[in-house]
Amino acid sequence: MNAILKNPLALAGLIVIGFISIMAILAPLIAPFDPDAINVKHILLSPSSTHLMGTDGLGRDVYSRMLFGARISLLVGIVAVGIATIIGIVLGAIAGFYRGWVDTIIMRLVDIMLSIPTFFLILAVIAFLTPSIWNIMIVIGLTSWMGVTRLVRAEFLSLRNREFVLASQTLGAKDSRLIFKQLLPNSLTPIIVSSVLGIASAVLVESGLSFLGLGVQAPQASWGNILTDGKEYIEFAWWLSLFPGLAILITVMGYNLLGEGLRDALDPRTSNNK
Amino acid sequence: MLKYLLNRLFWMVPLLVGISLISFLIMHLAPGDITSTEASFNPKTSEESRQKLRELYNLDKPVIVQYGLWLKRMSTLDFGHSFASHQSPVFWQETDKDGNVTKGMIQEALPITLLINVLSLSLIIAIALPLGVISALTQNKMPDRSITIFVFIGFAIPSFWLALMLMYWTGVSHNWLPISGLHSLGAEKLSNFAQLLDTLKHLTLPILISGLTGLAGISLFVRNGMLDVLHQDYITTARAKGLPENTVVYKHALRNALLPLITIFGLSIPGLIGGSVIAESIFAIPGMGKLFYDAVLMRDFPVIMGILTIGSALTLIGNLLADLAYAWADPRVRKGVAQ
Repeated sequence: MNAILKNPLALAGLIVIGFISIMAILAPLIAPFDPDAINVKHILLSPSSTHLMGTDGLGRDVYSRMLFGARISLLVGIVAVGIATIIGIVLGAIAGFYRGWVDTIIMRLVDIMLSIPTFFLILAVIAFLTPSIWNIMIVIGLTSWMGVTRLVRAEFLSLRNREFVLASQTLGAKDSRLIFKQLLPNSLTPIIVSSVLGIASAVLVESGLSFLGLGVQAPQASWGNILTDGKEYIEFAWWLSLFPGLAILITVMGYNLLGEGLRDALDPRTSNNK
Repeated sequence: MLKYLLNRLFWMVPLLVGISLISFLIMHLAPGDITSTEASFNPKTSEESRQKLRELYNLDKPVIVQYGLWLKRMSTLDFGHSFASHQSPVFWQETDKDGNVTKGMIQEALPITLLINVLSLSLIIAIALPLGVISALTQNKMPDRSITIFVFIGFAIPSFWLALMLMYWTGVSHNWLPISGLHSLGAEKLSNFAQLLDTLKHLTLPILISGLTGLAGISLFVRNGMLDVLHQDYITTARAKGLPENTVVYKHALRNALLPLITIFGLSIPGLIGGSVIAESIFAIPGMGKLFYDAVLMRDFPVIMGILTIGSALTLIGNLLADLAYAWADPRVRKGVAQ
């Protein structure tokens, strides 16, 4: 933990993500307006002291919608990556521990999934399943586990024949004990780093889907679908495009900084201070 | 070498079958089909005529039978016809009995997407290479620090947002560049050269967007590759021999640092194809992404399956080409393959 706090990248990322998370959690308390309240008298107002980020085409307060949109982005990122990481750990552990034909099948499956243009697949599935936040999280999770699988497998393969693993095997440890007590804890660093970086790309995918109208559906606010409105009114209302875009940028950057910082802090090999 | 090549080509077939099976199952397990979208356009469509449509398209048969039929047609490279768009052939052009040629949908869309991607890749290489090298040579000093900040922004910037901003800035407020489509109104009356110029102008923003968003990854990659190589013993040897620093950096280090880049380009193909959806739908460019997006909304199965198959095949071919290029560029790999 100390190493993380001493790393400027990780610390910056942590602060950004922490700040956005607090805003998202407190959204119902700090939002000045009801995010879904339509007010035809206040359509497309530019930013002012009452409406910090202006209002949209239906007169809704953009700042309030941004706060509630933050909940969507953070939730989708974390849950989707959670699903992907669990699948990746299970498959990677099986492939790396047992090797042989199970390994071959799992790795071929990884090759197949890596060859399909994933965004196309996500798009098709979401469109068919009727877009909703749950479907998005599940589909992003189900299409992004391949990296973690490879990672875990590689770690397991290299750790499998180390003395400390062989020693406890000789002492009669069961497979499950070897996997959960020896191999997995020693593979945790790269898994954590890749998960944090994965959240960043999941946030980008969700906002892209919502932007295309296949993500979170109106009236529920997400940064992506505020941007869709922004495109509609781009000639009259710059604030509708600027703020959600910046929010996505900062959030994704926060996760990337945290991920890279963690990598530097936890892995002595890539440390630049040699 | 030939044996390796044949082996790789042979393995592509089961991979493609696997890819298409997974795509097919996913498409068909979801509720609804083309008849539900057609019915929503024409509420008078009766259940009876919808049933007829399903029979016509074999949608009434079990999924696995449908997949068998699809695979059978695919074995003769018959991608079928679009459900939604007036029976256009999905992949390649067809001539009917009156000699009229109907162009294939992918045939028309693919070159546009490829052109955009090739041009933006060139842009990426032209900018990212020097950035990465500068960054590595000035490690942890000012230039490196600013390039790294730029890289982090590049990683995080949503491409569609950048597209909107550039569209607003160059198209709406300055009117420098066209912001949608491929041709201006009345472009067909212009000379060939003027037409080409017109199309390039329309492609400038999309190319710029995918170039700018791809830049970050590649320049970071070049930086890290260079740093790795610069710490190797043979670089120390080269320096110790008294070679000029330029020779050490550009002849000894850079060439080795660039090798893995070949693989990265191969691996980035599915991302590039997939990423085309957003850019093409923002700028209304009739490429693969736009075609896929429209097909998905219409549940046009033959088009969806066609694009997924072609996209995956392109990825596999791209990976193979990348591996071959790597072997060509790196004698160590070549020796390994030959054995």
